[in-house]
Amino acid sequence: MLKISNLSARVAGKEILKGVDLSVNAGEVHAVMGPNGSGKSTLAQVLAGREDYEVTGGSVSFEGRDLLAMAPEERARAGLFLGFQYPVEIPGVNNVYLLKAALNAKRKAAGEPEVDAYEFLALIREKMKFMHMSETFLTRGVNEGFSGGEKKRNEVLQMLVLEPKLAILDETDSGLDIDALKVVADGINSLRDPARAVVLVTHYQRLLDYIVPDQVHVLSGGRILKSGDKSLALELERRGYDWVQAAQGA
Amino acid sequence: MTPALRSFEAQWRGRAADPLSQVRRQAMEHFMRLGIPTLRDESWRYTDLRSLAAQSFVDAPQDAMLGGATHAAPLLNSAEGALTVLMINGRPVLPDAPFSESNSLSISTLRELSRIDPTLLARHLEPLSDAEQQRWSLLNTALFVDGLYLKVTGKLAAPLLILHVSAGASAATVSYPRVIIEVAPGASATIVEQHVSQGELAPLCNSTTRIELHEDAELEHYRVFLSGSEATHIDSLDVRQDRGSRCKQFTIVLGGGLVRTTLDSQLSRPGASLDSYSLLVGHESRHADCVNIATHAAPDTRSRQTARAIAGGTSRVVFNSKVVVGKGAMHADSQQSFRGLLLSPKAEIDSRPQLEIHADEVKCAHGSTTGRLDPNMLFYMLSRGLDRQTAQSLLVFAFLADVLTGVSVPAARSAMESALITQLPDSQLLRNFR
Repeated sequence: MLKISNLSARVAGKEILKGVDLSVNAGEVHAVMGPNGSGKSTLAQVLAGREDYEVTGGSVSFEGRDLLAMAPEERARAGLFLGFQYPVEIPGVNNVYLLKAALNAKRKAAGEPEVDAYEFLALIREKMKFMHMSETFLTRGVNEGFSGGEKKRNEVLQMLVLEPKLAILDETDSGLDIDALKVVADGINSLRDPARAVVLVTHYQRLLDYIVPDQVHVLSGGRILKSGDKSLALELERRGYDWVQAAQGA
Repeated sequence: MTPALRSFEAQWRGRAADPLSQVRRQAMEHFMRLGIPTLRDESWRYTDLRSLAAQSFVDAPQDAMLGGATHAAPLLNSAEGALTVLMINGRPVLPDAPFSESNSLSISTLRELSRIDPTLLARHLEPLSDAEQQRWSLLNTALFVDGLYLKVTGKLAAPLLILHVSAGASAATVSYPRVIIEVAPGASATIVEQHVSQGELAPLCNSTTRIELHEDAELEHYRVFLSGSEATHIDSLDVRQDRGSRCKQFTIVLGGGLVRTTLDSQLSRPGASLDSYSLLVGHESRHADCVNIATHAAPDTRSRQTARAIAGGTSRVVFNSKVVVGKGAMHADSQQSFRGLLLSPKAEIDSRPQLEIHADEVKCAHGSTTGRLDPNMLFYMLSRGLDRQTAQSLLVFAFLADVLTGVSVPAARSAMESALITQLPDSQLLRNFR
């Protein structure tokens, strides 16, 4: 589904990604872990198409298409979803408006009719209940005045409504208490499907207690240094990241 | 002397004597001494009136009837319980049937008032502050033909709409609408003044509104400019507030080719409070210049100036705000906040917050920023699949509509949001979101 080859990228003139290789197949969950400043968030943002991040080399294909040639909105409509590490507050633009516009944009791209207003509201209410979100969400601006936990839940809610083929979740677990973490994990697990894939970008392994990944990768210094199964995450939790870097001579 | 000045003088000579002649003469002489402002005048440095000065103006027809479409529909109507007074080129057309709330509101024309109580009228025509800001209302004082006097004596439940229509029969007509609003002690009202123009001519409208709020009176006042792109509008609003009175004022510039608005408010007694909101939309090649002055002349007075502006195309938007804290106005509390959004590289926004403090122990804050759309917000919306145009339109609307959240009459808020959407690029697109 996703194939990243030798991807390098610059942010504000500084080389952050230095040749990332990663392949994700449909039905899989991958965890990308790594120390602070290793390039995890940059990778997520580059995949979603952030324009001020400059790709300097390599290629990314998404379902056989050249992802890097697509505008951010085209990527979204093609089924790529980024859960933001820091979801943006947009006062004055209603949560429901945004989500409805997003869903309709996707449906339009797929040649489907616009969603019926009643059906849409019923869908949102169902997903809100699943994500333990309060009714006030419906009348508020996008992420406006939300707590950190509410913002993360809203990211997952949007994901559940949009049903992406590939979800890239950037530290969706950070800043959550244990109850919220379970709710978020349930949300992500509910999307697991042989036709979909999930990339979890995370700093800690505790999310992986609830979402069992097929593969774990260590991103450090702008490259994937090591890949393995779930046991790698546990080892990282125990030993930190230094030994991986040392073993690679990085 | 410029052609415009000569034509104003000719108008003055053509006026018949009335009980106000002395007040009017003084005003006319004063205006003629000051003349038409130029870019050298401090508060006019961003607004060039040379083409106005080069024209000769004649009175807009006083007997104009409404025919043909105006540039905007009324913001409120009787279905929403609103009372409406029409003013055509400054001449009030009072409704035939008396208002159901006539025990809380009395309405008369200024012609009537000048016969019945010329002293009262003359008092309301005196300039409130120094002449520099007042020159266009001086001209209005000298030349207005008729106008409207509203006295609110109780708590007015329904909003009142004053619909000003500029209707010219030929090019270069001028009208001088004059409105006086007096709110008695403890009384309250919501009053909307809406300015529209009719036809494709280029009328000049020089309007003046005087508001006097007595002790503990409360007023929500709007002036909404929705004239056509050829119209020139110079509007002066003076507010005087007595002890404990509260005023919420909205200045909303959505139309007009050249619009200059002034709000000059005097917080004359302790406890007076003013919340002013300005929403300025510059598009195409339009020019909007908004002056907002709050003078704290007594202790424990409070003012808030909140403004949002956008400028697209080759438009220019100017926001001059000033807070003056007079000697002895202890514990004055003021805030000035301006945010501008540039939508095109050829548009321009100028903002000048000024503060003049002559007292100790005051709390005065100000902030002013102008920039482009927040790239983080834009990227967030794109990453959800919205196309760029939709995302930008929504962000622009959200930025501006923020000012309208303070509107307390739901029908008025919804009408103003619609009017705002109509003036924005991609209005059809925005309508789908409502």
